[in-house]
Amino acid sequence: MATVVTDDRISTERRSPRRSRPGRALARRNTLIGWTFILPNFVGFALLTLVPVIVLFYMSFTSWNVFGKAPWVGLANYTRLIDDKSFHTAFLNTLYYAVIHIPLTLVAALALALLLNRKMRGVTFFRTVAFFPYITSIVAIAFVWNMLFSPKYGPINQFLGLLGVEHGPGWTVSAQWSMPAVLIVGTWREMGYYMLLFLAGLQTVPAELHEAARVDGANPWQRFWNVTMPCLRPTTFFVTVMLTIGSFKVFDLILVMTNGGPGQSTLVLSQYIYQKGFGEFQFGYASAISVVLFLLCIVVTIFQFLWNKRRES
Amino acid sequence: MKRTIPAAIGIAAAASLALTACSGSSDASGGSSPTGPVTITVSGWSLATTPEFQTLADAFHAKDPNVTVQLKEYDPAQYTTLITADLAAGKAPDIVTQKEVKNVSVFQSGGQLMDVSDVVSKLPKDVSGTSSYKIDGKYYGVPYRQDSWVLFYNKDLFDKAGVKYPDGTWTWDDYATAAKTLTTNLKGKGSKALGTYEHSWQSTLQGFANAQSPGADILSGKFDYLKPYYERALGLQSAGAQVDLGTITTNSLTYQAQFGKQQAAMMPMGSWYVATLISQQKSGDADTFKWGFAPAPQLDSSTTGLDKTPVTFGDPTAFAINANIDKSKVAAAKEFLTFAASEEAATDLAKIGITPSITNDSVAQTFFSVAGAPTDDLSKFAWTKHETHPENPTSSKTASVQTILNDLHTAVMTGSSPIDKAIKDAQDRFKSEVGS
Repeated sequence: MATVVTDDRISTERRSPRRSRPGRALARRNTLIGWTFILPNFVGFALLTLVPVIVLFYMSFTSWNVFGKAPWVGLANYTRLIDDKSFHTAFLNTLYYAVIHIPLTLVAALALALLLNRKMRGVTFFRTVAFFPYITSIVAIAFVWNMLFSPKYGPINQFLGLLGVEHGPGWTVSAQWSMPAVLIVGTWREMGYYMLLFLAGLQTVPAELHEAARVDGANPWQRFWNVTMPCLRPTTFFVTVMLTIGSFKVFDLILVMTNGGPGQSTLVLSQYIYQKGFGEFQFGYASAISVVLFLLCIVVTIFQFLWNKRRES
Repeated sequence: MKRTIPAAIGIAAAASLALTACSGSSDASGGSSPTGPVTITVSGWSLATTPEFQTLADAFHAKDPNVTVQLKEYDPAQYTTLITADLAAGKAPDIVTQKEVKNVSVFQSGGQLMDVSDVVSKLPKDVSGTSSYKIDGKYYGVPYRQDSWVLFYNKDLFDKAGVKYPDGTWTWDDYATAAKTLTTNLKGKGSKALGTYEHSWQSTLQGFANAQSPGADILSGKFDYLKPYYERALGLQSAGAQVDLGTITTNSLTYQAQFGKQQAAMMPMGSWYVATLISQQKSGDADTFKWGFAPAPQLDSSTTGLDKTPVTFGDPTAFAINANIDKSKVAAAKEFLTFAASEEAATDLAKIGITPSITNDSVAQTFFSVAGAPTDDLSKFAWTKHETHPENPTSSKTASVQTILNDLHTAVMTGSSPIDKAIKDAQDRFKSEVGS
């Protein structure tokens, strides 16, 4: 077997110099055309994402304050993280948000997709309604939800009052309820987008598999669990990965809804990075926190890929 | 391959020629006479609703026609971020307006501000707020306005409630008692207005505590002095004499609407609100009612009364010179800074309801002659006589401490944390995040 491989290599190396001049020109032309296609996107990616990310890693070892030189401080920013109580709070709050938000949105989006995958009147309208929050201005969403959550005058607590709950939760102005309030809005806002992905996935489930299962006497739950779910596995995996990264990076919703408060009850890593960088000009330290967030995202994503690979095999 | 080398040389030559041409023009401008026509640029925000910049620019140009002041507008909410980006990129205006004192040390330590000690040394003695721009014995900004916090009150609502107007002798306890009485009496008269409105900002409470409490210093890391102020504020909330913080934030209440639409009989606020209220009463955005302002309530009676100087707080706003300004413009820029802090400019600012850095009797006369301004003696006393402490000490640690204190404020005022625990948490965070 090894000899065969070696022979192949040899034969390939020998064949290559023998390629005709027009052949080489064609290959080069094709390569250039290929580069032309990806170049605009790659230049944008390199300038606006890749280079800043590389610089970010460097900055995390400095005490740069945006002006002038960036003095090298070695691992000082990272060792500072160990004793930084606010960082610990932000880290735990980020995990809190992610652990609830990922399964909640996943289930809500899938349920919505299954509901709106049926043939019924006005299905397009309902799909649009479900998707609408995702394309609505986050500031408008926060403004309206904050009013809905108002402990004294908000309709939510007034409704709870009708159900017999005398003192409704404080929602965004309570340290205990602020994160659940943000989670409700976050899930409501994003489930429409992931519903669309699931809807696309549901179109790939072969109808004959459902038909065969029905003939075999499977009930709706069995058909869902044994036919739909396995066929949706690639979509579910994609949605989970996107949700995970999105949950760890949650920023705008919290910034406009609670600004991390009351106290630090909804302070998350992205907001802490913003606070340290743009609020306090500690860009070196903010970069170190960004690196931690980056590592958190990448480790969890790799774990998800490995888990998915194992399940597929 | 052979063709590419000459082409590359050609491009390099063209580029170097272009660069030489650029540097040549720079040299030419650098060598121009400072006495010739000069245009200097000044950063500002919301130019349509903040007329002070155009007023100063026009007045200065009228005084020295050789110098034209061009304004560069920034978004007020993102001013610090945007001006920081422009400074870092070398594209900031010649004169950088210092909107927030807490950022001055960052700009100074980053080498972005020019030493203007020579300008400050020649200013009139009654210009206030210069100390906020002093770092290591040198000055990096010249204040042109100095707002101070006072107590606004609605005379019509006081009359309706049968409560005596503030007379300059009030402590915070007197103020709290009046707020509760006003609420009760107004309710009895069928009015929904509350006794007072304290906006959700941390400075509404902490600014007074920092200025009036003996030995208080936010950079010390000890915040026990805040406790009596928070106890009083929570007492007002629970008595229903003040809207609670939760309602303010969830319903996005504005202080202009709360006082201007007569939802509250009193309101501690900065003196900038004088111009806003006059303007809103003219436009109809605010109701028409009689109003005035009194000195801020005091911690105790040692600083109350018209024979004493009430202690309050407020940060100045200043012009600073960009350290990277073209040398040919430095003289004109310094001339503009000198003018902005002069009594002449103060009078121009007072005409549009702005509180300038000079508030002597002459300027006060102009300020209170504006149509719609209050005319009572107590308002004049509150405007002219006060010991105003800076809200933000000039230090690289200020921004971090204010973040911690803001978290303390929201935790206490929403009832999420008892006062003692919130203060202890803030002190612990100070130790771990700011240090000594």
